[in-house]
Order: sequence, then C-alpha cells, then structure tokens
Amino acid sequence: MLDAFEIISTSGVVLWSRSYASVSPSVVNNFISDVFIEEKSTVAGAKDGASATVNPPYKHEQHSLRWTFSKELGIIFVAVYRSLLHLPWIDKLVDNIKAIFVSLYGDQLKKPNTTIVECVKFDEYFDQQLHELEQGSGKPDARAFGDEKAGTAGEEQAPLPPKVAHNNQKPQTRSSAESSPTATPNASRPATPAAGHLLKAKQGPGGKLSRRARKIQNNPSAPASSGDEATARKGKPVKTVKRGRKWDADGLADERDDVQLDYSIPAVTSDSEAEAGARPAAVEEVDASTWGSRTKGKFVLRDLGDEVHSILADADAKKNAAARTDAQSGIVGSSLSAIGGLFRNVVGGKVLTAQDLEKAMKGMEEHLLKKNVAREAAVRLCEGVEKELVGVKTGNFESINARIQKAMEASLTKMLTPTSSLDLLREIDSITSPPAASLRKARPYVISIVGVNGVGKSTNLSKICFFLLQNKYKVLIAAGDTFRSGAVEQLAVHVRNLTELTAREGGKVELYQKGYGKDAAAVAKDAVAFAAQAAFDVVLIDTAGRRHNDQRLMSSLEKFAKFAQPDKILMVGEALVGTDSVAQARNFNAAFGSGRSLDGFIISKCDTVGDMVGTLVSIVHATNVPVLFVGVGQHYSDLRNFSVKWAVEKLLSST
Amino acid sequence: MSTIDTLKAALEASLTPSPTVISVGLAIVLLIPILLHFIFSAATPYTTLPSVLLIGPSGAGKTALLTLFERGPRHHNNDNNPNPAILSPVADTHTSQTPSTVELAVSTDSPHTTTYRTDLDATGATAKKFLLIDTPGHPKLRRHALAHLSSPSATITPSLTTRTTPSHTGTEPNSTSKSKLKALIFLVDAAALADTDSAALSSAAEYLYDVLLALQRRQQRRGGGSSRAPASVPVLVAANKLDLFTALPAALVRSQLEAELGRIRRARSKGLLDSGEADGEVVGAEEGEGWLGAVGGDKFSFKEMMEFDVEVEVLGGNVVGDGPGADKWWKWIGERI
Repeated sequence: MLDAFEIISTSGVVLWSRSYASVSPSVVNNFISDVFIEEKSTVAGAKDGASATVNPPYKHEQHSLRWTFSKELGIIFVAVYRSLLHLPWIDKLVDNIKAIFVSLYGDQLKKPNTTIVECVKFDEYFDQQLHELEQGSGKPDARAFGDEKAGTAGEEQAPLPPKVAHNNQKPQTRSSAESSPTATPNASRPATPAAGHLLKAKQGPGGKLSRRARKIQNNPSAPASSGDEATARKGKPVKTVKRGRKWDADGLADERDDVQLDYSIPAVTSDSEAEAGARPAAVEEVDASTWGSRTKGKFVLRDLGDEVHSILADADAKKNAAARTDAQSGIVGSSLSAIGGLFRNVVGGKVLTAQDLEKAMKGMEEHLLKKNVAREAAVRLCEGVEKELVGVKTGNFESINARIQKAMEASLTKMLTPTSSLDLLREIDSITSPPAASLRKARPYVISIVGVNGVGKSTNLSKICFFLLQNKYKVLIAAGDTFRSGAVEQLAVHVRNLTELTAREGGKVELYQKGYGKDAAAVAKDAVAFAAQAAFDVVLIDTAGRRHNDQRLMSSLEKFAKFAQPDKILMVGEALVGTDSVAQARNFNAAFGSGRSLDGFIISKCDTVGDMVGTLVSIVHATNVPVLFVGVGQHYSDLRNFSVKWAVEKLLSST
Repeated sequence: MSTIDTLKAALEASLTPSPTVISVGLAIVLLIPILLHFIFSAATPYTTLPSVLLIGPSGAGKTALLTLFERGPRHHNNDNNPNPAILSPVADTHTSQTPSTVELAVSTDSPHTTTYRTDLDATGATAKKFLLIDTPGHPKLRRHALAHLSSPSATITPSLTTRTTPSHTGTEPNSTSKSKLKALIFLVDAAALADTDSAALSSAAEYLYDVLLALQRRQQRRGGGSSRAPASVPVLVAANKLDLFTALPAALVRSQLEAELGRIRRARSKGLLDSGEADGEVVGAEEGEGWLGAVGGDKFSFKEMMEFDVEVEVLGGNVVGDGPGADKWWKWIGERI
C-alpha cells in the first residue's frame, strides 16, 4: 500500500500531501538533495514532462519513491511506498495526479510572491484516482457491487435542481432508502458540487467518448445508448433482486469509505461491457440507469470520476496536439515566426525552443571539449543546460549564446561546489583535540594518497606535508609504496628537505618505513599505531601507483582502506590526462569496497595546461567527489585550495 | 474602377497639407509613445520594495518561517477566516531548491501590534510592505544567497518568477522589480548546535562566516571608492527550534557561534591560498580581505562587526511547537524596515 504522496514545490513548500503511514521527512529530503541538487542518479534529475515510468525509482532504506517533475511550475510529485511491495499502478497514479493537479491549480501556481496554493479539494480527486487504479488492478468483483449501487441510485432519482437540492436531499435519501453508503467526510463535501456541476454542463457524451477513447473501444453501439440516457432513467424498472441483496441488511456501518470511491469504476466497466454487447438485456437496463444517475448529478463522487477522466483526456489530447503541431505548421506561419524569432534574437524576450538551442549547444559542447572536458561529461552538462533552458524567456537584449553561457556557468558552479565543508585544518583539529564534551578520544588524523603511476602522489604528499608543518603539526609519513625501487628513498629525501625547511617553524616530521616487499596495508596499519603512541597529529600514507583497470592491484586497495582506516582518501589526478580521467576516477572511487569511497581529489600539474582544466569537470562529473587541492608548480609551496570561481572562469574563457 | 478612384482620392487627401490631416498626424505621433509608455509601465512594476533575506544552513527552518509569516495572520482570526484552505499556520516543508519570495506587510505606526498575527486590515494600521526572500540552504545552492550579498549595486533583484521558471541561475534576468536589501536573518537550528559531535555547528558557522565576510567586503569596497554611504545591513541570528528540549538558549548559541567563527578565522588565515590568486604580487591589497572583524584579535565577537556597520543580534524563537514563537523576530524585522 502507498505510504505517502506529496506534492512539493521546488522552493520547499509541501503544497499537498497525504500519508497513510508515518514516513520520516528525511526520506523525501534525501530524495530531493540526491536527485535534484546533487544529481547523483545517472539520469539527470530535472527532466521536464518525463513520466514516472521513465524516472528511475529512488530507493532510501526501506522506502521506494516514484516521482515526476513539472519544470514549468516547479513542482515535484512523489509517491512513497515500501520497497517490498509491488505496485504496478503507481506510475500511472503519479502521472495522473500530476495531470490533474496541474490542470486544476496551474493558475494559482504561477502567482508571484506567495507560497499558498488552495488545494483542499484535491483530497477527493486523489482518492478517486487511487481507488480507480487500485481496483483496476485488484478487484474483480467490483462490478457486481456497482450494479447494486446503480439500482439504488436509479430508484431515488428525482429531478433535482442541482446544488442546493443535492445538499438538502441527502439526509432524506439516507433515511428512506438506507442506501447512502458514504462515510464521506461531510466537511469537504460541499466544496465539490460547484466543480462537479460546472463540469457536468459540458459533460455527457463528450466526457464519455473521451473515456471510451482511453479504453480504445470504438463500438458503434455506444452513441446510441448514451443518447437515450435521460429517458432510460425515468422509466427504469430497477431489479429488486439486486437491490435487496446486501444493501438493506448491512446498512450504513458496514460500508467503509472505499464505497464512496467505487462509483466511477463500476460505471466504466459496465459501460465498456455494454458496448461489447455481450450482456443480457436486463443488465443492460441497469447499466443505462447508471448513466442516468450520473448525468443527473446525484452522486457527487461519480461526477468527480467523470471530471477526472475528462481532465486526463484533455491532458492527453493536449499532448497529442502539441506533437501534431510540431510536425505540421504552415509556410506562412513558419516564416512569420522565423522573422519574429530573428527579431527576438536581438532584442531578447524570446522563448527558447530546442531548435533554437541546438546550434548554440553544439558550439558549447565543442568549447568544452576543447577545454579537455571528457565527452561524456560535456554531453551531460550540455543536456542539463538545454533541459533547463527550453521554455525559458531570454532577458532584454540578451542573445541565446549569452543565456547559455550564463546557464552553463551556473551548472558548472553547482557541479563543482562541494556539498560539505573542506577545511582540512579544522577537521584535523577536531580529530586530534576533540572538544571536552564529546566522548571521542584524541587520535592522529590519517590521510592516504592514491593514484595512477606518475601523476605525482609523492610530490603532492610532500606538498601537503609542508603545508601541515607550517601549521605546526607533527606529521608522520608512512612509506606505503613497498614496490617501486627508490620510492622509500625518495620520501626520505623529502622528509630531510622538509625538516630543514621547517626547522624554525616548529613542525616535526618523521618517516615510517619497513623497506620493500612488505604488505602495504600492514605497513600502513603499523604506522597509524605508531603515530598514536608517539603522539603525532597527522599520518600521511603514500601508496604505490597502480593502473586503474588492473583488477589485481586495485583489489588490494580495499584491504588497505580496512587496515589503515584513513580519515581522508585523496586521489591524485593529473590535469594532463584526457578522457581516461573519467574511468580513473570511477575505478578508484569504487575500489575501496561498498562502505568507503574517495574523499577528495588533488589535481596536479595544473600549471602545465593553461586554460584546459577540463579534467576537473570530468572527474567530478564521474564521481561527485569534490576537488580539494590543485597543484600549480614544482615547489613545496605550490599547492592551492581549489576555487570554484577560478575553474569556471577558466573553463568558459574563450581564447 | 471606382475602388481605385476612391483609393486615389483617399491617398491624395491624406497627403495634401490640410489642417485636419496635420492635426490627426500630430495626434498619432504624440499619442503613440505615451500609450506605449502606459502599456509597458502597467506591465512592469516600478515600485521597489525593501527586502529581507532569509539565510541559513539546510534544515534550520527557513521555509517554515517564511510560510509562518505568510500564513500566520490569516490563520489567526479563525472566526471569519478568509482562507479556509489554510489549515495550519506552518506548511510542511522539505529541502528547497530554488529561492522563493513572499510579500508581507508590517505595521509602522502602532508599536503595540508587533506580532505577525495581527491582521493589519482589521486594525487599520498603516502598513509597510516588504519582500521576504527565502534561499536554499544546501551547500551547493548557497550562491543564490551570496549573489544577493555580493552584487555590486545596492539594489538586488529578487527572483519574482521563480515559481514559473525555476531556472538555476542566481538572479533572474527577466524579473523586473528591484528591491533594497534591508536586513538579513540567519536562521540556525539551536537543537542541532547542542550536539557537539555533529558537524552542524561548524557548517552553520562556516556559512555565517561567508555571509558576514560578504557583508564586510561590501562595506569595505563601498567605503573606499564611492561617495555614497552604503546602506548597512543588520543581521539577526535567529536561534530556531527553541521548543525542543535539547535546544541551546540564545545566549549560548551566540557564544558557541562566536567561538566557532574565531576558530574558522584562525584556520582560514593559516590555510592555503585559493587557486587563481597569484601570491606575492598584490599582497598589500589582499591583506585583511579574508579576515573577518577587527584585525589582530584572537577571540571573535559579533561586536567587532560594528566596525563595518554590520549590526549582529541573536534572538531565540521557534516556528513550530510551544515556545517563545517568532514574534521577537517579526518585531526585529518591523524595526529595521
């Protein structure tokens, strides 16, 4: 069963919600931040118009979420249910609710400077949909019950003046025929007739036909039967057997509120069956009376069913019409719009379409590729920007290119901006000297550095070490590269240099090494234990370089992560590498087992590439892991914090 | 034949310099610009409303506060509730992705009606309208908020059209109304701050640091160059969720934040340079740029911000549940508008 259904605006306000079981708000919060803000799923989040069947379900703990998004109005429709359950109709529910909600409250949503949307009445529309879909899949006996219902309904027909009479009549019918089965919330009821009758005016054959269209049943007998519904209602001898069977005996109390929602379904089923012409005459008469009662406006909820169907049919028709107009447009129309488009190109205020954007987006993609962004990342960025811009109006005197530039800047900034704070010094402080109130014990902060061969792992390690020493930390360097000849000696040289350089500053650095041929994970573990004993603040672990597609070498990383328990695993990637950076980042990110991933990147050799810093984008795109530092030179001091603004400027600069 | 003749005659008449033709022509020439002006001025609101910015980390209750202020007055007078749709004064909220703006009114003349619940229409007080701008608190979306602060002009552009086109650019280019930033509310979750093991305190403080630094830079830049004295933007640190048992009182929130800001300030001064900043060249100009508050101090306090005309106040309150409520904050806004 459904746990909750929510309609949320992008500004965070819940416009309408219904919950059947308590669902922690963190479920939906996580869903929003993962899918829409961080775009963790492989499919980019903000896809307009995509139905819930296309959007992949989001899973969080034991809940699954199906969702759809209306970009134009900025609202998200989410259905939350238990992952264990199989609900085949859930996509349809989400899509239908979206269509209904947008058509009913679209105007209200466009109002500026308010967050209020009056949609109390929406409860009934939702109930109707939920039950229709639920029963459409689950209840085979719904029809029999419906006939019965129709019988009683047919009997108490009296030509009523629509609204007032309806409200007055209800208690009477309840007492006399004992048929009024509804536990409908009376408070919300008076709200509906207005809408129901409004719709009813243009109801009748039209609505029914559209419903039939949805059922794809083009039987010629249909119009005939719908034509005589008014007469059919009056002279109807209702079958007594059916009426008396269950209804009078059980009375009001037995029928729970699902009764109220049954109305449209039996109508639909009997309707279609009547069309099929496979039913005996007597039953067909009852069917006819069902229609009569419906057109009469007697049962509000039955009207609601029709209204919902007509809304859905409208939405479908609109979609089809849009598709058709796309295909065919007159010569005059197109040339006029072309001239207007050219004018608007210059002046601004043009509503962008996919065609307008196509050429400019190609240019933007080329530009990104030239900046050494991997094709995969460039395509995804461009797609995201295009989706965002379709349907947007350009500003005054703003060209399409300028608009795209702006949107690309925003989306690059969003992508590169880290989700959490990356202040290394404060993190080290909080680990090495935890606040008095907390229960944690002081321990050394462990940083390990991984990467492909020759990207500069040891060099960057010594740069970080220099930075830490300047801040007066006691640093232990662990020689985890027990494989390559000269690796340990190289670190020894670094340590000697750093000791000399920082002798006056007050930092202290030592090398922990066990020679060659040992297991790197064991060395790292020993180093951490030693550092804790000797009261070091930070342990920096160097590792052997490894090719990212070598299974044997990569698999040892998982053990390494388990033994050394590093607080930060940083991967060094060079700015020089091109498309391969995506695969490198992905493989390393996945190499530490299920519970662990990379914590950050160091991009080395940024000084050698000039503007072409696309590697940054490629790796962040591939892993959603932030860039911590960039290396900009050969000296110990040539390490910089990563600045998003700087990177975006470089990426978009055209030279 | 005759139609051509009449056309000819009409053309001739319109080209002969008769007084009627001249007057009609003049009327058209003069009236069309005026008409156009009225049409366009009607379409675009020129009034600049003062605005108040809601800032804070994710989950602090910004959107909830926004809805409380918006729905509060309507909810209050239940007898003739004009809006039956609003069942509760605070809407349920989730993580925001886009900024949102609401227009509110605060009474100016009568000091005793200083709660957001007072129905201004009923009391007949003269009201002052302002815009309350809610910003997303997710770290990836903070540029929405910071764009408001670092914009060079005094006027900022609230995104009026976010509901219709939630595009993800900072300021909406197609919104037409500009407004003056009058005050800034930094909302924090006082209950989360109490938990020392969680990162709530440090992340909130970090955000506050960025905000205060942006305000300080704004002031410095303006103080150096232009002649016009910039409008100072007072900051209210609103300690939210005081209805919870674990929440810290306002005074503690203040001291905790000050201590954390001091720590951040120290760590930043020791940290690495940002990439792109050429070191060694313009050291003189960069001096003190990243340093918040009075230069050289060890402990940070909000009083230091007075040096840059940024007034910081800490007040407690809550949006939902029992407690002091949000009246204090509303009063604070009323005094600043």
